[in-house]
Amino acid sequence: MAIVRSYKVGDTIPPLTKNMTQEAINAFEKSGGATGPSQFTDLETARSTLGTQSTVASGRMSLTFAIELLRRYFGADVYNSRGMVDLRFLRPVRPGDSVTFTGKITGITKEADGSRVAVEVSATNQKGDVTAAGSGACVVPSGYMPPEE
Amino acid sequence: MAQTHKDTKLLDWEALEIGEKLPTLSYVLTQEMVDEFRKGVMDPEAAFPTISQKVDVRPYHLVYHDDGSVNARCAFHCFNPPIPGKRITVQAWIADKYARRGKNYIVTQAVSVDEDGRLLDRVITHELKQPSEVGKKWQ
Repeated sequence: MAIVRSYKVGDTIPPLTKNMTQEAINAFEKSGGATGPSQFTDLETARSTLGTQSTVASGRMSLTFAIELLRRYFGADVYNSRGMVDLRFLRPVRPGDSVTFTGKITGITKEADGSRVAVEVSATNQKGDVTAAGSGACVVPSGYMPPEE
Repeated sequence: MAQTHKDTKLLDWEALEIGEKLPTLSYVLTQEMVDEFRKGVMDPEAAFPTISQKVDVRPYHLVYHDDGSVNARCAFHCFNPPIPGKRITVQAWIADKYARRGKNYIVTQAVSVDEDGRLLDRVITHELKQPSEVGKKWQ
């Protein structure tokens, strides 16, 4: 039986919360082949490069969390081949932060290969500060959508 | 072998040309890299470990050095999840540059393709090239 997905403007996406640790940041950097000290892994480097009092997480970690948010919502079968996300990084994410990613559907438009479901995405830390904001989208095949009237 | 400043040129933002192709990057994605990535992002199903490879800015650093940078914006397009054990080839280029509020930004873009010709992903990154300016706000 075909999967049927139904979307409408204003629908909210179930939130995703990530608790940041230095260990997670280190693993992320290590997986990318980074071996030396950086503003992400080393306090002294963060102080000298950014002037901050702590290390920070790469914006790419937030990007990955936004992708997870949308993948869970749209399904890996669709999102991993037809999804995208575009984030602006507004505030640093530090070890110890708890960051919650949320999304809301803002538009549905017809494309050549399905319906493009556009989503507004934001990330907010435990203090209520927005750390990242932007948009995402997924082109859902028409065969997965309810029949048109 | 570690890259040194002797091997690269200092970024001259004014002279930087939009469209400049950066050196092609090639690497084999290992299962260990995938596992480490998934541990870092706390998601056992994370499908794009290519994100942590920073493949758009690594080629830039093969050509240029600068005072560091802060990632201001990043876009990622998913086409096919990479497969561990496959060699991945990345072509990156300078996609744009702009000045905003007295700060200089460069935009790099990269496309990753695996050894079977599968298009994996496209990443676009806006980097602020005066990181200490951001640090002042982040205290």
